[in-house]
Amino acid sequence: MFPIDIRPDKFSAEMLDYSRKLGQGMENLLNADAIDTGVTPKDVVYSEDKLVLYRYQRPSDVAQQAVPLLVVYALVNRPYMTDIQEDRSTIKGLLATGQDVYLIDWGYPDQADCALTLDDYINGYIDRCVDHICETHGIDKVNILGICQGGAFSLMYTALHPEKVQNLVTMVTPVDFKTPDNLLSAWVQNIDIDLAVDTMGNIPGELLNWTFLSLKPFSLTGQKYVNMVDLLDDPNKVKNFLRMEKWIFDSPDQAGETFREFIKDFYQQNAFINGTAKVGNHPVDLKQITCPVLNIYAMQDHLVPPDASKALNGLTGSQDYTELAFPGGHIGIYVSGKAQKEVTPAIGKWLNERAS
Amino acid sequence: MSNETLFNDDWLKLQQRYWDGLAEMGRKALGTESAGASNPWQAAMDQWWKTLSPGASQPGQEFMDRLMEQGKSYFETVEKLTKGIAGTDMTQGWDTITRNLEDMQKAFMGGMADGDNSMRRMAGFWEMPLDNWQRMVSSLSPMMPGDLLRNMPHNPMQGDVERMLSAPGLGYSREEQGQYQDLIRRSMDYQRALQEYTGFFSKLGMKSVERMRDFLQAHADGSKPIDSARTLYDSWVSCCEAVYAEEVATPEYARIHGQLVNAEMALKKRMSVMVDESLGAMNMPTRSELRTLQERLQENRRENKHLRRELEMIKRSLAGAEKKPAAAAAKKAPVRKKAAATPAGNASQG
Repeated sequence: MFPIDIRPDKFSAEMLDYSRKLGQGMENLLNADAIDTGVTPKDVVYSEDKLVLYRYQRPSDVAQQAVPLLVVYALVNRPYMTDIQEDRSTIKGLLATGQDVYLIDWGYPDQADCALTLDDYINGYIDRCVDHICETHGIDKVNILGICQGGAFSLMYTALHPEKVQNLVTMVTPVDFKTPDNLLSAWVQNIDIDLAVDTMGNIPGELLNWTFLSLKPFSLTGQKYVNMVDLLDDPNKVKNFLRMEKWIFDSPDQAGETFREFIKDFYQQNAFINGTAKVGNHPVDLKQITCPVLNIYAMQDHLVPPDASKALNGLTGSQDYTELAFPGGHIGIYVSGKAQKEVTPAIGKWLNERAS
Repeated sequence: MSNETLFNDDWLKLQQRYWDGLAEMGRKALGTESAGASNPWQAAMDQWWKTLSPGASQPGQEFMDRLMEQGKSYFETVEKLTKGIAGTDMTQGWDTITRNLEDMQKAFMGGMADGDNSMRRMAGFWEMPLDNWQRMVSSLSPMMPGDLLRNMPHNPMQGDVERMLSAPGLGYSREEQGQYQDLIRRSMDYQRALQEYTGFFSKLGMKSVERMRDFLQAHADGSKPIDSARTLYDSWVSCCEAVYAEEVATPEYARIHGQLVNAEMALKKRMSVMVDESLGAMNMPTRSELRTLQERLQENRRENKHLRRELEMIKRSLAGAEKKPAAAAAKKAPVRKKAAATPAGNASQG
């Protein structure tokens, strides 16, 4: 059999159909309002420099847990991914399980922030947010949910301040930065990070975007748009797609000194695995983490491969360590329909079972 | 706005005519004419979008630009793969597809030989990783377009230029000469790195064509031929992505990738130093001075926040110490003890 049977009339019909859909999509694009992100009502409860700490408003019909949950997002991309739209919101799901949810928004660092270090972020900003929450609630400990790089920060924070963390949840968090399937890690080994930071000050979001898109360039910068044409006739789908597009390209610059430390210590030196992690002058010993730990990873994660996250098992001093594997990718773990049904309720249940 | 207005009847009619014509040519087994990059469909599409895009919101415009760009790439790819196969029998069909694939490979090979121009013509699709890089470089260096050094010939004259650059500067302006020599040297390093990077992608392109050939041969054993442009395009993307995933996981790619980023940074750094020197000569603050101030300021802020926190703790412990005698006194009076317990209880309920 000859493998291709595309008749010219069929080809032309496909092309016209594509044009027609583009035309319809144009109307939806013209009518698209400004893209809103972050759908759950929230209040600013603390701010410092460019950091804003939000507290989400709880649903009136759900009894709230006494120990609040602080979400620590990565410095890369923006935290509204966790609350991207009404029916795809990790935050909303957590509130529904009775969590009192706080979230740190790191903002957009500029050149004035280039000297911020890991110590400033972890022993400074995160610690002051935790203190603020503890003071507000009259408690000594909070629950922490760390996401991706924010998970690595949360591990360091919990190891350095174990007395302030009741339960720790890590989501798609890199621990072993040198697993064989970690493309990002492989690529960064030959980069002169000192030269990059000394040259640029802050590391531009564009450079990070380029790196992430380079992981799957043809799918992420080509095929995705061709496939999208099929959905253009639905205004809601157009808006949802634009929302995701906004998030993908909404990459804050990275404070130079923090980037230098994080990439050199972790991506190049694999500091958690080699036991060389430190924040400022404080060595980080993951064995100091004795609280319950829930480690969630995505099985099709191309940014943080599953093995990179699973390496946490056995590294902490916790006697209550649980893993949860999600059948999806790095982004799907927050925004997919499946994640809303599986991941968020599981986090809530796990935390509620450990509420004292 | 109605669909009729948006569609722009003229645009659709023009496309319809073009595609009717092409279909007719295919039916006559004459579909060997390539539509080329400037075919009426693309031209009409571009014109249509230029007219309408100012009315779209900014994110909508960017999004639509990408859709248009990828739409063109989609049809170009399918046209190149299927050129001349309509109406052919099995043997002729295989001959034609083999020729098309060979043409694609030649284009990639040409890309390696002549500074990748032919590769650029061949497949806009394979431009994506390079295009992404150039967009990024342009955003970092507004004064230096991302493709500034891409096609500049360098090999034939490289030895002479390097000899010239290694000559020491002379006279009163020798330091300045040295800086310019270093700038040119770094430009050449970046150009070399960029060409090695594009060369790597040329090789990937050829491997992808091979993978596509294997895929089509395997598909010939199946029960149903590929009968839509979209399926063919998706298959091509899968082949490219699979080859890409294999190749970029190699140490060779990690080296090329690192070399490209480092060369770009080294060039940018040299430019920054020169800009700094000019600013310094005009008694203006330089980036380097600002960086020093930023570091000192951050150090001060860090200490300040630390001291403030210690002060808070001291205040609290002092307040606690003052409360203790009061609480001890309260223990002697049962009525006051009950009153003191209430606020603490409230606080613990959050």
